[in-house]
Amino acid sequence: MPRPVDPITRSVVEHRLSSIVTEMGEAMLRTSYSQILNSSRDFSIGITDTQGRLVAQADHIPVHVGALPWATRAVEDRFRDVVPGDVFLMNDPYHGGSHLPDLTAFVPVFDGDERLFWTVVRAHQSDIGGSTYGAYNPDARDIWTEGLRVPPIRLTEAGRLREDLIDLLALNTRNGHDFRGDLAAMVGAATLGERRMTKLFAEFGGPVVLQAVEGLFDAAEQRARAIVATWADGVYEGEAFLDDDGHGREDIRIHARVTKRGSDVEVDLSASDPQSTSFVNSSHANMQSACAMAFAYLLDADVPKNAGAFRPLTVKAREGTIVWAEPGRPVTMCTSHPSDEIVEAIVKALSGACPARAMAGWGRRFRIALQGEDPRTGRGFIWHMFHARPGGGASSGGDGWSTAGEWHTVGGLKFGSVEFAEVRFPLHFRRHEFLPDSGGEGQFRGGLGAALDLVVETATPAVANTAGDGIRYGACGMQGGRDAAPHAYRLLSEGREPRRLKTKETGIPVRPGDVFEIRSGGGGGWGPPEARDPVARERDLAEELVSGKGDR
Amino acid sequence: MTQFRIGIDVGGTFTDLVAIDRTGTTVFAKSPSTPDDQSLGVLTGLEELARRLGLDLREMLSRTERIVHGTTVATNALLERKGAKVALLTTEGHRDVLEMREGLKDDRYDLRSAPPEPLVPRSLRIGVRERLRADGSVAVPLDEASLAEAVARVRASGATSVAVCYLHAYRNPAHEIATVERLARDLPDLYVTRSSDVLPQIKEYERVSTTVVNAYVGPAVQRYLTNLERRLREAGLSGSLFIILSHGGMAPVEEAGRLAAATVLSGPAGGVAGARRCAAMLGLPDLIPFDVGGTSTDISLIVDGQAALSGARGLAGERIALRSLDIASVAAGGGSLASFEDERFQVGPRSAGAVPGPACYGQGGTQAAVTDANLLLGYLDAEAFLGGRKRLDRAAAEAAADGLAPRLGLSREETALGIHRLINLKMADGIRLMTLRRGVDPRRFALLSFGGAAGLHAVEVARELEIPRVIVPTVASVLSAWGMLASDLRYEVSRTHVGESAAVDDDGLRAIFSDLEARATARLREWFDGPLRVERSAEMRYGEQVFEVDVPLDDLAWDAPALVARVHEQFHARHEALFTYASRDQEVVFVNARVAVVGAVAAPPVQAASASPSPASPGAQRRAYFDGWRDAPVYGIESLEPGMTITGPAIFEAETTTVIAGEGDVVTVDRHGWLDVRLRRERAADR
Repeated sequence: MPRPVDPITRSVVEHRLSSIVTEMGEAMLRTSYSQILNSSRDFSIGITDTQGRLVAQADHIPVHVGALPWATRAVEDRFRDVVPGDVFLMNDPYHGGSHLPDLTAFVPVFDGDERLFWTVVRAHQSDIGGSTYGAYNPDARDIWTEGLRVPPIRLTEAGRLREDLIDLLALNTRNGHDFRGDLAAMVGAATLGERRMTKLFAEFGGPVVLQAVEGLFDAAEQRARAIVATWADGVYEGEAFLDDDGHGREDIRIHARVTKRGSDVEVDLSASDPQSTSFVNSSHANMQSACAMAFAYLLDADVPKNAGAFRPLTVKAREGTIVWAEPGRPVTMCTSHPSDEIVEAIVKALSGACPARAMAGWGRRFRIALQGEDPRTGRGFIWHMFHARPGGGASSGGDGWSTAGEWHTVGGLKFGSVEFAEVRFPLHFRRHEFLPDSGGEGQFRGGLGAALDLVVETATPAVANTAGDGIRYGACGMQGGRDAAPHAYRLLSEGREPRRLKTKETGIPVRPGDVFEIRSGGGGGWGPPEARDPVARERDLAEELVSGKGDR
Repeated sequence: MTQFRIGIDVGGTFTDLVAIDRTGTTVFAKSPSTPDDQSLGVLTGLEELARRLGLDLREMLSRTERIVHGTTVATNALLERKGAKVALLTTEGHRDVLEMREGLKDDRYDLRSAPPEPLVPRSLRIGVRERLRADGSVAVPLDEASLAEAVARVRASGATSVAVCYLHAYRNPAHEIATVERLARDLPDLYVTRSSDVLPQIKEYERVSTTVVNAYVGPAVQRYLTNLERRLREAGLSGSLFIILSHGGMAPVEEAGRLAAATVLSGPAGGVAGARRCAAMLGLPDLIPFDVGGTSTDISLIVDGQAALSGARGLAGERIALRSLDIASVAAGGGSLASFEDERFQVGPRSAGAVPGPACYGQGGTQAAVTDANLLLGYLDAEAFLGGRKRLDRAAAEAAADGLAPRLGLSREETALGIHRLINLKMADGIRLMTLRRGVDPRRFALLSFGGAAGLHAVEVARELEIPRVIVPTVASVLSAWGMLASDLRYEVSRTHVGESAAVDDDGLRAIFSDLEARATARLREWFDGPLRVERSAEMRYGEQVFEVDVPLDDLAWDAPALVARVHEQFHARHEALFTYASRDQEVVFVNARVAVVGAVAAPPVQAASASPSPASPGAQRRAYFDGWRDAPVYGIESLEPGMTITGPAIFEAETTTVIAGEGDVVTVDRHGWLDVRLRRERAADR
């Protein structure tokens, strides 16, 4: 073994790695075609080693972070004959992927003859085939209905691009043109990263970089362990529930049994409920990622998110449960549900070990997609609702962030301009404001959800689908804080009874002039409400964040 | 009789002043800044400047044709949260736009921090019954009773400033104007600003946030500038007083008071103006201005002689969507502190600040800062810091490094070198973001080094980025104040069109631009009777995109046929240049029309220096680290003459700055007496 790399070389390599992933991310943002990528930034960038260990990542979507290693390993397992100039692609949840929309590209990085790393780009495709646009299909009963499955494939062979494979993929999506553009952007960003890594080897030599990376793993591990060591040893349990699976099953339980000993944490999800027939199942990689996400939230924000930081964490689960479905089951909902419930169960369990670190629950995702015709242009439109974000959970650090989103995005997703939406879609946002009383009460109050009254100004009937959860269970309170109000969405149509919307519906008829009355849930409260500072309480009333009416 | 132009840059520590007369003779002065009332420091500085000119203040001011001023009043009000108590009148049902921030939260992994306080609390965000549609038509008329109630609430609240922002007011300002008139009638003492005046553009979060910032800093900026102008008049100024705005142009006091949110980058904008002036003087169109101070490094970009502008930026967490110079600030400077905690070696972002300062300042600092490392590496002279006015404490710097070295398993020198390298990397990262993320290759640029501490790092930072050349002007330490004197007058207007459903035709497009041009020209003519130049641009995107690309339209033949098609082609070409591809079969959406009218001011003359290619001789030798300890020659910059050439390693010193050139770097003194460093060619894998 060579002499360990000194801390300064290590820091230099760390900075280089971080600028490489940043540059890859910028390239991706600027060259991709789809709105979901170039505006909502639903993509992630990583560098992994040949063991699939995460070396560096750009902070994009938390739920992607812990999943890339599993995807890398799937590529490593499938291909033994990797050569420079190869590019690999995959999405299949039963081959290391999370869910079908998350397509992932890999470029191997060589130092001379030796393969050392992978540059990895994961991007959520706006469409991946299947029986509904955009892959979220509550009616799906198997993975094939959800879209095109791509096991690890070699897209480019030693620099020669397989155009025929791209044709095959593009033909199976609804927007082949954009798909090609996005794929080119992914491969371009990964290749850019590979070039930068090669330059890093030229400067320091591959062995020094490898040594430095080991040092970075060790340093992150030490930081994580130093934090975990301060938590109380013990065996803790936590649970969270999905409202339902849309196929008639309710109260689906996610159970976490967490053993904390010394500086190690073992999460055991084995006692979670059996798998479902619907898309609320989780894939294995996504379950692993949700556990890593929960663990990262409980550490300090600046602990590097590399494989070292996750060494103290062991995950156990049982195949055939809701958190790890058997091959063939549908899983598209999983990056939000049951990801959010897995996080919640783990954080709840560990609140016994590190009460000041355990934050209250963030809201759940409840999406609406509306399809119809714009009378101003005569053209069809599909609108995905990102407005009326739910509230963030309170914490020992203070009140929660209002309308900042769910556990799996935590403020990473932008909802966009109401004015813009009104220009581009036949929609009128009559009201879009904080929803008073929606945050869970506590010493620190949960962030508020939103009230949205949305008038559909089509001339002809439109149709809506929903996908999500959280109309029965609100975000959980913590340390004596109260749960937040759950979501409550209704469709108001003149001459009809108001229709309470469920979270997993397809084909909801919407008539011109109908109003979506959307009340999104808040974040959970932290600490007993009695402990709330009277000044803060008065301020909540004066600011009309709470109404002071009722028991809430 | 000699006439002067005076540039004044108020910084955190010092107020820099520069006077140039008609022959190009340039005189500098520095005075301590007075944060509580910046005009005091300005007046003291002007007295010092007059003294150096051999005049009294009144005499100097009476012979001053123009003062150009960069102010940090708005910046500080925002950073220190000391602005006005603001009320916001907005469309009923939409009063939380400001605090929703479009759902975004910056640090995704920090789930234990409370959200920031918005500039206007919810109780002062007051809904008014009115509503416009996306096409500007009225869905709900402005309700007088609702407005009266809102005005009564403003009165009762004690707010001193009001922002008015209604949905779609960029299409139709009538409701906002009626509201402002009502406020002016009922509450005449308040500062009132409306979104259709500040930023008549679609996207409500940007518009409301910018308007609120304007209301927040407006009263302070207006008060300060009015006082300053009065004092200057009383002291004898008969010429004009102009304020540098964030976009790098300047405007009179009244305009800066109206659009106060446009002054938040007034300070650093002077540096960029200076850099642009350098680019012109050097005939070097592509420069990276690199300004290193005590706590931060400001980086911008001059491309083709022009400073890059950005449409959306923020300060102190507040979004300000006015066009401003694209300036990135990195938390890296002479005071950045080194630490080794949790097995991690870091330099910055924590800074020693002015108090206690780096350990070597001898003011009680014990942690090693970048300046300490520079002293230990021999780059700084303990005896000659700030022209000998401050003696650095070498023993304190050694003790600080020794506090760190054993934990790193390194020697004192290795530790100092590590600090120096790491801070260089951070600065280089800042430049990478400024260039690469904009698709610009830094290797075709020269680095322009200015600000007190830049010269210690510029050459190594350039080497890191493979930038071949570094320029250090003699005015480096007061470049901002100097640059202001070369700024133009500038007035910008814009209008949102959003031509998707209502596609615009050639005549429609001409009408939009000629209307904007007429308005902007009329406005600028109130301040300026010299030659005017018009800059037109349009922000466009492909149908499904959300972010626009700003496309300059200055080279178009406006009267020729097929104008719209040619504008589209400009967009495709620009898109291709920026992002490697264009989609010519896709629909192009026209979002904002922009016109800037520029009153070009003649640049101050340059005093030519005579060349005398005699060999340079160092004033001294100093032991310093250049890939090993060496006795390096030390040159006084003032003693160098144009045409001299020196091969590194070498150290160059002036009163307020030190420049380090490495082994094999070739330093030429150009005709202005500035240092022009050509970096040695790097062999691959040289380390």
